[in-house]
Amino acid sequence: MPKTTQLYDYHAAHAKLTEFAGYEMPLWYTTTTEEHLAVRNASGIFDVSHMARFVAKGERATGFLEGMVPTAVQAQPLGKAFYTLLLNDRGGIIDDLIIEKLAADRYMVVVNAANAQTDMRHMMSHAPSGLTLDDLTETTAMIAVQGPGAAASLQQLADLDLSQLKRFRCAETKVAGEDALISRTGYTGEDGFEVIVYYASKSTPNGALKVWERLAATSTPCGLGARDSLRLEAGLPLHGSDIDQDTDPFEADLAWVMTAGKSGYIGADALSKYRDSGPRVIRRGLIMEAGVARHGFDILDESGSLGSVTSGTFSPLLRKGVALCKVRSDNSAYGTHVGVLVRDVRQNGAITKPPFYDELLYGWKRQKGN
Amino acid sequence: MEVHGYQVPEGLLYTKEHEWAKKEGSVVKIGITDYAAKTLNDVVYVTSPKPHSTVEKSKSMGTVESIKAVSEVYSPISGTVTKVNADLDSHPELVNKSPYSEGWLVEVAPSNFATESRSLMDAGAYAAYLNTLLAK
Repeated sequence: MPKTTQLYDYHAAHAKLTEFAGYEMPLWYTTTTEEHLAVRNASGIFDVSHMARFVAKGERATGFLEGMVPTAVQAQPLGKAFYTLLLNDRGGIIDDLIIEKLAADRYMVVVNAANAQTDMRHMMSHAPSGLTLDDLTETTAMIAVQGPGAAASLQQLADLDLSQLKRFRCAETKVAGEDALISRTGYTGEDGFEVIVYYASKSTPNGALKVWERLAATSTPCGLGARDSLRLEAGLPLHGSDIDQDTDPFEADLAWVMTAGKSGYIGADALSKYRDSGPRVIRRGLIMEAGVARHGFDILDESGSLGSVTSGTFSPLLRKGVALCKVRSDNSAYGTHVGVLVRDVRQNGAITKPPFYDELLYGWKRQKGN
Repeated sequence: MEVHGYQVPEGLLYTKEHEWAKKEGSVVKIGITDYAAKTLNDVVYVTSPKPHSTVEKSKSMGTVESIKAVSEVYSPISGTVTKVNADLDSHPELVNKSPYSEGWLVEVAPSNFATESRSLMDAGAYAAYLNTLLAK
């Protein structure tokens, strides 16, 4: 039996369901295109309760996390939420995650559903005595509110003045009267928030359901279909498809998460090999002239094989195929023309720097007033 | 008739892969069913065989692609393509909006309709088939 989130009854009544990472989740409520465009133009809500949430607590929590990720932890201010990576000894990416610094000795760690057990084992095997690692996945809900209208939609419920919460900041407050943790984060490319509703559980889901239904009055419920097309349009990698245990941060084009000069974390020694040379393959974005490039499709240049597509979709905004791919770094410059074999037909595409949408018109950097 | 919210019109013949065939004089129109269209959710590309090419019963004759996935279309009957629905190039969403009329895919001059149509389901049989599929 697949697991369910606290909002399952709502999904079952309103959405086409699909199984993802062991959870019965909404794939779409109306259509992926409608939900996708609602997020780009207004506001959408996503049940992301399937993502695993741990609290690392204790005076050794900072030191512990410092040893786990390539991003400086001690130096982060209180109330900071940051994207980083869990690495193995070879520098390969075990998972990508968000860490929220709630107090000097207390952190919220949010990881991918599909990797929850692997991550927990990895962290437990390195946890010092005195550190507590509480799994809050079952006892909380998590709702993403995304889009240019997200702040207005969430503000109606939140005690906190959201205009004071900057991007990649977090704060504990109340939402619709429920204890909650709000971070100004998300995975759509848009401005938005992720709200962890505390003390929700399957036996007492009323708090989470109340938050969801009140948000649904001003935001469009969105399923995993739109979540995937939105993150692809923004060029954000999906662990398990675009990045994995055999991809290091340089190959993943995520070296920016590595704080300059930081050492002593798991994987640091393996990554020092890049001091003199870049990676042989690298993650890139790709826009198609025609056809939709999908996972596993071959990418060709004049000399033969350039690499392959790691995930792709049809962009509802561009009305074109967009994809992430892993290509030979020696011919990976932006603008490089490539061929993609789409079911034996060669279609043209170009290596393109994501996000794939016009950043003046869409995404969190858009000019105000649009 | 309607099964679990999916339209199954009378007078058409159906496959287990959710294509339909409709005899119109000497030709047969082919498309995908309401169930197939709704399962794909939002169709963004349709590839069909060219006019004058031949299609073979139960063999792939094209694809219907949604945001999430691409799925093969298997021809319900054998024959020669006489017309292709060119409207789908600019309006692939017609497959969702109107799977049994404006969203048709191709028109075929059948080569062996009398025999081949016997293995297709009528509306009643397809409705029953959908019922068993969706009861799981």
